[in-house]
Amino acid sequence: MAGKDEKLFLDACKAKFKEEPTSMETKYYCYGGWKQSKSKVEFQAKADEIAKKRGFPMMNEDIGVPLGQRSWMPYRLSHTDLVVEADDLHCINNPAIQQAWDDIRRTVLVGLDSPHQTIQKRLGKEVTPETINAYLETVNHTMPGGAVVQEHMAECNPALVEDSYVKVYSGDDELIDEIDPRFVIDINKNFPKEQAEKLKKSIGKTLMQAVRVPTMVGRLMDGATVSRHAAMQISMAFISSYKLAAGEAAIADFAYSAKHQSITMGSMMPARRVRGPNEPGGITFGFLDDMVQSDRVYPDDPARAVLETVALGAAIYDQVYLGGYMSGGVGFTQYATAAYTDNILEDYVYHSVDLIKDAYGGFCGVKADDYAKQMKLADQVSSYALEMYERYPAVMETHFGGSQRATVTAASTGIAVAMATGVADNGLNAWYQSMLQHKERTGRLGFYGFDLQDQCGSANSYAYRSDEGLPMELRGPNYPNYAMNVGHLSGYAGIPKAAHLARGDAFVASPLIKVAFSDKDLVFDFANVTKEIGRGGLREFVPAGERTAVIKG
Amino acid sequence: MAKYQRQFFPGESKPAQNRRRYLDPKIQLKKLRDIPMDDVVRLMGHRTPGQAYGSIHAPIEEATEPECPIRKLVVPIEGAKAGDRIRYIQFADSVYFAPISPYQRAWMYLSRYRGIDTGTLSGRQIIEVRERNLEQIAKELLDNETFDPALTGIRGATVHGHSCRLDEHGLMFDGWQRYLWDDEKKEVMYVKDQVALPLDKKIYVGQPAPMADLKERTTIFRADGYDMNDDKEVVDFYIRIHKLRTLGGYRPFDVKGE
Repeated sequence: MAGKDEKLFLDACKAKFKEEPTSMETKYYCYGGWKQSKSKVEFQAKADEIAKKRGFPMMNEDIGVPLGQRSWMPYRLSHTDLVVEADDLHCINNPAIQQAWDDIRRTVLVGLDSPHQTIQKRLGKEVTPETINAYLETVNHTMPGGAVVQEHMAECNPALVEDSYVKVYSGDDELIDEIDPRFVIDINKNFPKEQAEKLKKSIGKTLMQAVRVPTMVGRLMDGATVSRHAAMQISMAFISSYKLAAGEAAIADFAYSAKHQSITMGSMMPARRVRGPNEPGGITFGFLDDMVQSDRVYPDDPARAVLETVALGAAIYDQVYLGGYMSGGVGFTQYATAAYTDNILEDYVYHSVDLIKDAYGGFCGVKADDYAKQMKLADQVSSYALEMYERYPAVMETHFGGSQRATVTAASTGIAVAMATGVADNGLNAWYQSMLQHKERTGRLGFYGFDLQDQCGSANSYAYRSDEGLPMELRGPNYPNYAMNVGHLSGYAGIPKAAHLARGDAFVASPLIKVAFSDKDLVFDFANVTKEIGRGGLREFVPAGERTAVIKG
Repeated sequence: MAKYQRQFFPGESKPAQNRRRYLDPKIQLKKLRDIPMDDVVRLMGHRTPGQAYGSIHAPIEEATEPECPIRKLVVPIEGAKAGDRIRYIQFADSVYFAPISPYQRAWMYLSRYRGIDTGTLSGRQIIEVRERNLEQIAKELLDNETFDPALTGIRGATVHGHSCRLDEHGLMFDGWQRYLWDDEKKEVMYVKDQVALPLDKKIYVGQPAPMADLKERTTIFRADGYDMNDDKEVVDFYIRIHKLRTLGGYRPFDVKGE
């Protein structure tokens, strides 16, 4: 990490532009247009080939505004050395972003306590570590698409569903010691000791399954299918491993518990959103925070964990959900990636951490009800961020959309106050203070729809009343005022993460989700979000759910 | 009780004073240039000079209006009386000390003009109004001190550039290069209209103002100009808004004597 006076964004800015980052002047219209971009050249060549093959035009980089009138900016993934082009960060082009969403969607947490009671009390069969191990072996056959009950069944090709599996975890060390370690997500091994103790205490003796249905299932059907696929294959595994009658009424209990006593990653959304359950709009900020694992792997760097959360939020909420599900089209990449590229938010957040330690008593050093002090800190952090845009025109041009600057500035402010107080709602309130300061200072902010939420947000930031508010951990894209809050959701997600890390918590909203995403067998590494997205951009990331196994040639 | 007087904006700094001046409809803004009305019409590109105004309804006088007390109260603007189409002009304002910025444009438009609609974004500001009124307003806005040839752009589409560095002539970036620098005349000339269709003739909009002058004229607070943090009244003002909104939504009973 750079020293206190060194600006973390300078290297990225120098890589983008040949002029000094402080220079207000450059040249335009002289760089050769889109041909200065490697990816655009590649796109055009491919589009020409496709057009020739199909006999009518395809993409043509010469249509519309001349691209590349400015020097073409590469993007550095924050806290990495990976540099990619903007095209590489579009979620259609980036398999890592797709896999992050796939891994979230295809995860469903299904408790074993209830089915074990059914087996023991209703069916009169014994449940022992041995039977659990036998069940786990069976369910790792059924979950990817193996058949167990009926003969002459069609099954799924393992090469297509290799990412599918089931593992278990519990806060009960004695129980876990008895389970085949190949099927265990080991809290003691995966987490630093202090975090492990907190997680185990919160989880208690319950035995939880982290079910990963095949990526292909979520892609072919929808998010809601995930729990159904899991329920069907779990039921089959119980029938087979405990030798149960397939038609017995008690079997319905397994399916019921798997479907309705399970935790999907996305909650239900109202009908007006026209989305089913377990879609990205239903992921609460607290859940997304717990998916991020940076604080597990880099426990001494809470700022990194917050920034990784913002990055995941930008990819899932802004690029995939708002940019894809809700809006459609291609416009959101440029906007959302500002939050996780070029170390700009990085600089603002690490600066805030230093400021909190130097002048505000460290993490949780400001009382939740000391509003004057919170407003002072918010004013300072927001001023610093805006000043960087003013002092470094290269940073201003990097975030050339006002909404990008508004989000990044407000995110740093919200994160700072969340860390200073240990309360996410304080941080959220500071977000809105930043927005008002920004508007007043610069005479501009984001775009029409963007501004609306930010100018009324102060009033609802502390509201807990239904349909008006929620604790920040439980808000998400589904919260009424955030439904089309483009570009904000990434920053919002960082706020509760910041608060809970400052408090020294091991999780934000769900210890079960925190542990489930610590598993090494997930395709996407949730401890290194920006690195994974960068690898996706560089075409080094290998996703699951590819169909090449069933395509000749 | 004292009669309420509009205050427009707090603060004693230059940007604060400029904001008040632009917003106050009683203040006549300085006219810095005189762009012929036909050229204003060409720049907007909604009709060619001399062409009749398009209409979307018959003149109000010829129509049978429903009985409505509001219609009796509100005097229609000329374009509405005639049934003109609603058209627009949109300006992009550079962050580098453009004379005015989008929010102040919105406030100024709403303070100075009737019958308009306006939308605020980070780099640009649209004003929509009946066409014949629009032309009068557009000419005013192009001629007066809120327009700078280098740092204000007339842009219907592909508007970005407000936050880009300036080119070697000090001009704001424009992806369509609607305007160019005439090195002989030392003036900015438009060669395309606001949606980037080529113009039949070059339209000169004058010389850019020196940066030192713009720093005194702008509504924008900046660390390398007039910093908002040096104007306590403005800081107190925005914090007060935030605090009152927060308390209003959370603990309204704590709002006392504010």
